[in-house]
Amino acid sequence: MPQNEYIEESIRRHGRRMDHAERKRKREARQVHKDAEFAQKVHGLKAKLYNKKRHSEKIQMKKTLKMHDEKNAKQKTDDAVPDGAVPAYLLDREGQQRAKVLSNMLKQKRKEKAGKWNVPLPKVRGIAEDEMFKVVKTGKSKSKAWKRMVTKPTFVGDGFTRKPPKYERFIRPMALRYKKANVTHPELKATFQLPIIGVKKNPQSPMYTQLGVLTKGTIIEVNVAELGLVTTGGKVLWGKYAQITNNPENDGCINALLLV
Amino acid sequence: MSSIYNFKKIAPVPEAGDFLDIVLSKTQRKTPTVVHPGYKITRIRQFYMRKVKYTQETFDEKLHQILTEFPVLDNVHPFYADLMNVLYDKDHYKLALGQLNTAKHLIDSVGKDYVRLLKFGDSLYRCKQLKRAALGRMATVMKRQKDSLSYLEQVRQHLARLPSIDPNTRTLIVCGYPNVGKSSFMNKVTRADVDVQPYAFTTKSLFVGHMDYKYLRWQVIDTPGILDHPLEERNTIEMQSITALAHLRASVLFFIDLSEQCGYTISDQISLFHSIKPLFANKPTLLVMSKTDVCTIDDVRPEERQLVENAVSDGVSLCQLSSYHETGITETRDLACDRLLQQRVEMKLKGSKISGVLNRINVAQPGRRDTVERPVHIPEAVLRRRQQLQQQRDAAGDDEDDETMGRVLERDLEIEGGGAGVYNVDLKKRYLLASDEWKYDVIPEIIDGKNVADFVDPDIEEKLAELEREEEKLAAEGLYDSPDESMDEEERRIRDTARRIRERKQIIAQTSHINDVNRAKLTAKAKASVSTTEDFSEHLQRLGLNPALADETAQRAGRKRGRSESQDPAVKMARSSSMAARAVSVIRDRSVMGLKDERSRVATEKSKSMAMRQRNLMARAGEADRAIQSKKPKHLFTGKRSIGSNDRR
Repeated sequence: MPQNEYIEESIRRHGRRMDHAERKRKREARQVHKDAEFAQKVHGLKAKLYNKKRHSEKIQMKKTLKMHDEKNAKQKTDDAVPDGAVPAYLLDREGQQRAKVLSNMLKQKRKEKAGKWNVPLPKVRGIAEDEMFKVVKTGKSKSKAWKRMVTKPTFVGDGFTRKPPKYERFIRPMALRYKKANVTHPELKATFQLPIIGVKKNPQSPMYTQLGVLTKGTIIEVNVAELGLVTTGGKVLWGKYAQITNNPENDGCINALLLV
Repeated sequence: MSSIYNFKKIAPVPEAGDFLDIVLSKTQRKTPTVVHPGYKITRIRQFYMRKVKYTQETFDEKLHQILTEFPVLDNVHPFYADLMNVLYDKDHYKLALGQLNTAKHLIDSVGKDYVRLLKFGDSLYRCKQLKRAALGRMATVMKRQKDSLSYLEQVRQHLARLPSIDPNTRTLIVCGYPNVGKSSFMNKVTRADVDVQPYAFTTKSLFVGHMDYKYLRWQVIDTPGILDHPLEERNTIEMQSITALAHLRASVLFFIDLSEQCGYTISDQISLFHSIKPLFANKPTLLVMSKTDVCTIDDVRPEERQLVENAVSDGVSLCQLSSYHETGITETRDLACDRLLQQRVEMKLKGSKISGVLNRINVAQPGRRDTVERPVHIPEAVLRRRQQLQQQRDAAGDDEDDETMGRVLERDLEIEGGGAGVYNVDLKKRYLLASDEWKYDVIPEIIDGKNVADFVDPDIEEKLAELEREEEKLAAEGLYDSPDESMDEEERRIRDTARRIRERKQIIAQTSHINDVNRAKLTAKAKASVSTTEDFSEHLQRLGLNPALADETAQRAGRKRGRSESQDPAVKMARSSSMAARAVSVIRDRSVMGLKDERSRVATEKSKSMAMRQRNLMARAGEADRAIQSKKPKHLFTGKRSIGSNDRR
């Protein structure tokens, strides 16, 4: 009955087949060709996935190679002639430096630049009413069309009470109501899920502000109590503004940038 | 052997990346892939909702499978639970499964949320984005389970390689310090083939082997060596032994090496025995002194000997064995097995189920029917034989009861004759011949100057052929035909009449069937056409009348009466003559009807074939081909169709 490490045990006792090493070597050598063949043959979604994987592998490989190259690279230095006395046989040589191309400082700078946060969105796309609202037909023969349903995510405060359905002009569906937003603090470079307090301004229209519609570019007020921010005076901050940076109706979540 | 704990069937757990690929490609394969912005919005929504829902269900199914297949530590036997705790760390294991469970719930809720959002999707783009976000979030949840999944895969692989130990069966556990000969003993009593090496901790995990004793199946468990230190300091290897000792109801064989070749003194070994003694409670325990080929109990110093003897208390017995010389192994095994069996029987007798078994045991004693004595019948020969034996035994003075009743068995003969393979069985011994002296006689090849070949008839083939020929001749003459002469004139007549009666009866039955009142009837006209002149003449013949009468009657019935009386004979004359001229009907070929002569006919023929040539070359439909002018005649395909079908109008 095979039990525990029986495969290793068997190899230890009886060894491998005589041509094991050779077969292994050949299989490995053949593998690249097989991969290439497969890459040419594959199509569809699998091709997409496979090629992406190969692409990233190739990039990684190139990077590694480059790093090795850099390690061995010889660069000219500005102060060509070294200080002090130099023997005659070294005089015609230019000063060389074995160092990486980029200094660490430069790299750091680049990283910072890439990581700098954009200013919040100054411009937004206009949204027409017919995109924002869906007409709800009412009446016994569905002939009246004065009711509207908001088809974008909305924020509805806790204390909201509906008007009698008969007179309610705007419906904000329960499925599209949001209470939390993923807010990024640009300086802390961290993202928190914070409760929304209210909609400050929707740049599209004051009516949308009133309805609490959350679209890209909307300024919302979020509860930052759990971040533990304090004012210069030492008071604990709890309400802060943030601007929505994504299209919530397309993503199913609200991403916002804290305005500091 | 069937074990209730089979961990070999757990399906492999894919890595997080593979997991995603599997699920997403399944969605791609199993859901529709074509959608257009022009579709009705409900259809587009439906399309994307299905994708989200399907992905979520696939994730759910896969995770559920993992969660159900892995054993729950609370539900398995405590031995396995403890072993898994030692090997894989219970907390880690539970945490991994718990995280997968959480991931499952998260994915479910993501799927639910996005399906809800999709209901409000108002364009293909928005629906697509929502689907993308949903699948992305599910993937993110799954990616976070990378570590749990790889851990579970490792656990699965290890679980599958665990020896299949049945915790409830008859078991012997071999334990002791490292390198004292546990595995050697194991290899001697079972076929487990455990690795034996001259260094400590060769055996790093539990091994199981099986053997037969008293027609029962026993499992022997070889454990890794244990050192004498507190439980907290024990490592994983030692803990496996402890687990086995703690949870299995088994006979324990504690091995000590008196020669101290293992590197530990006798006093160390005995102190280990004392320190793990609590684990032996209620188990038959044997203190086994191994390697007696090197050193026996008589060779050790008296104080150490004293130590060993002190260890032997009630419930512990002492044995010696040498795996090298193969002495004492069977005795040790038998002792351990017997003691365990005895204990198990005692346990069963104490248990509540025993009454059910005991009640079923019944020896039937038939009641006395009458006063006639019906003793056991023993054949006379047997009684005589018994008496004879008894006398012999008395003479010899031994009191042993021999089952064979003094007969010499073939087996004894075999042992005397040099054992199996050497002894040749005497097959002629029991031949039944007229004289016993003939038993060993050799059948001679030649006797009285003749051998077997001399008794073979040289022309047997010829004789056979002759016989066959004779047979053929007889068959041709009709020797084997069934006798048919018995039928004489009288009988033939009777048979003939009978046949006619039968036919007649059949005909009557058929006609009555035809004339059945309840049957649908033919019209008078149809019926009339059925009867023919032949039928009529046959009928007349049957009645014994002249059949020619039928023809005459028929002709008379069919002929129209001429206007012989009213018509003028001259006219009649003229008519008949013109009729005679038209005896042969004129063949009218319409293709040549309008043509004057042969020449014009040939010319027409030629121009026709020329006209058709091109069409024939191109295999086009000509005038002669079948053509359907209108495939859908309007009157059949227009108008209301509230009732009926098109072809019924």
